[in-house]
Amino acid sequence: MDSKRTRGHGINTIQINQAREIHAQTVRARDPRAQPRPVLHAPAINAPAPNRHICNNPNNPACAHCSAVIIPAPKATLPLEDTPSISIEDWTITTRKKPILNSKELDEWDRTLGGLTMPEMIFGNSFVKIENKKHDWCLEFNALDALKAVKVEDSGIRVSYANKWIKSKQAQQKSSELAESSLQIGQHYDWTYTTKYKGTIKSGTHNFTQDNSTALPLDKLSRPDPILFYDDMILFEDELADNGISVVNVKIRVMNERALLLSRFFLRVDGVLFRVYDTRVYVEFDENRVLREYKEHEADYKYVLSKNSGRHSRDPKAILRDSNWVAQQLPLVKRECEVLQF
Amino acid sequence: MELDRCLERLYAGELLPEATIRALCFKLKEKLVRESNVVHISTPVTVVGDIHGQFHDLLEIFHIGGAAPDTNYLFLGDYVDRGLYSVETWTLLMVLKLRWPSRIQLLRGNHESRQITQSYGFYTECVNKYGGSSDVWRQFTDVFDYLALCCVVDDELFCVHGGLSPNVQTVDQIRVIDRFREIPHDGAMADLVWSDPEETGGQDARDGRTTGLESSSPHFQVSPRGAGYTFGRSVVEKFLQLNGMSKIYRAHQLCNEGYQVYFGGLVTTVWSAPNYCYRCGNKASILELYDKDNGYFNVFEEAPENKLLHHASTSGQITNNNAFLNEFFDERGGDVFSDEYQAASASRRHVEYFL
Repeated sequence: MDSKRTRGHGINTIQINQAREIHAQTVRARDPRAQPRPVLHAPAINAPAPNRHICNNPNNPACAHCSAVIIPAPKATLPLEDTPSISIEDWTITTRKKPILNSKELDEWDRTLGGLTMPEMIFGNSFVKIENKKHDWCLEFNALDALKAVKVEDSGIRVSYANKWIKSKQAQQKSSELAESSLQIGQHYDWTYTTKYKGTIKSGTHNFTQDNSTALPLDKLSRPDPILFYDDMILFEDELADNGISVVNVKIRVMNERALLLSRFFLRVDGVLFRVYDTRVYVEFDENRVLREYKEHEADYKYVLSKNSGRHSRDPKAILRDSNWVAQQLPLVKRECEVLQF
Repeated sequence: MELDRCLERLYAGELLPEATIRALCFKLKEKLVRESNVVHISTPVTVVGDIHGQFHDLLEIFHIGGAAPDTNYLFLGDYVDRGLYSVETWTLLMVLKLRWPSRIQLLRGNHESRQITQSYGFYTECVNKYGGSSDVWRQFTDVFDYLALCCVVDDELFCVHGGLSPNVQTVDQIRVIDRFREIPHDGAMADLVWSDPEETGGQDARDGRTTGLESSSPHFQVSPRGAGYTFGRSVVEKFLQLNGMSKIYRAHQLCNEGYQVYFGGLVTTVWSAPNYCYRCGNKASILELYDKDNGYFNVFEEAPENKLLHHASTSGQITNNNAFLNEFFDERGGDVFSDEYQAASASRRHVEYFL
């Protein structure tokens, strides 16, 4: 209503930025320890591999000599967008991390995903994007699409004490202690939020071709090449009313020649089972080649617990929270691999 | 050790010796055993929801809502698990309850249980903080068995951790529960700490993905997990009418805004763990009740110390409380916008050569 008044308060974002910039420059100039800025010059002939990546986000810590890790700023500051990003040749990798959905957004999602009761924490505005600008191709990992892949039907999985529970309720119903409550399950959806999500192809006509004989080049990936860009985020998480955990986590690391993304669905239903569904996306920048490997692991809860016998005997359940350890114990149920060559 | 001396140490973030813990637990059990399952109190009172071991946010609550005993507090449970400071949080609440028993009310949440705390961190924390032995955890969880189940404020406001149960029509039925035990998987006691409201309005508008005829029931429904209930509007209306009450306040479910209103205000969730698990970015709130009709949701965000705590904990340097507080208040780190600050905080971040 009174626009003048509302505009009078607060400081413009750009002013803050400028002030910050000026302040930073002043501090830098006065710092006795400061070294003279390196003079730009043509690289020597046998200089180490030139830095060819571009840091796209000015909010992030300066990529000092481009061996520094570019990591998202400590906290997103509104209304500034904090979308850390890095470009190498034709490839651009962008991430965004935001708080969980608010109730208005939740209502909208509820309508879109009808029939599914939402998981407890949805980081619905977070994503990881791998783009190839030249071929207009984009692969994105986000919570909405991951949840769309959750089945809105009975998963058949029940918590460990479900049988006992239902029986005791039936007994009570007979003795008419529980007159009006129904023992029907109200809504049928996969409450474990099991998702076979492999990312969403947002744009581009290029598609993956299946080739299960291809494997990820582990030798190249286990080299300690400097990580230029790293991010790690959760897309959604639910603690299954304290019967375990269901979580989709996406990690990405970008090196000078390649990038690896791991999107992991991790499920633990206490006393019942474990599932780890991994999607790995591997990008070889120079070859313009993308590999996508999808693996399903699953096993009985007791089987995994027995793998841990002997060690950690004082707190045997602590290790069951570590998805890496669990993934190593679980047998592989299914593996698929796809290749995309531009 | 004197209670005031305990409080001093706890407010400074220190742990109490094991012998003191044992004595405190014993004393508190003595006190709680005399409380009824249903505690009756009067306004003014400040209602606090889940805390989950976020000790610095608990201190923040005392800053915002007023220190004990100047403000009366009703805690709705879930003091432990998930956060990094469950031991400190619970010890502080125990001492406060002992020091001012009529000013502090502690209800039981579903995490105040042996089974749950073994899976969600409290057990591990006790073992780590008390020399590899689970004795302290055993002491603590024994006290949990004595906590009251619900609270009635001004005879009109029903406060509970989870929600209603089909086994409970009247508050008197809660009074006769034998509560001095581990939380069972079923029955009234389980439902009071576990069940969730399920809003049914708007489901008609859903597209073809709606399944089953039962999905818009305003009654009790079994969760698809195969155990546990959700409760609808008519259940709430009936319960309130039968007991001559006007509202239900509960905790148990995370909400981004710090509180969430159901059924046009008949049921409200109060959530008091900001930036839950140090990563959700949500707000939290405490509900200040002035009288039975007037209240205010005091919404707050995470305590600034948490950021440093979190960094310290991920880089495994969590040894000395003062060290990172000094670091936090260090003048040189004053400009959070500076490159140095950002670079320092970036270098503290975790980078992993995952495969």
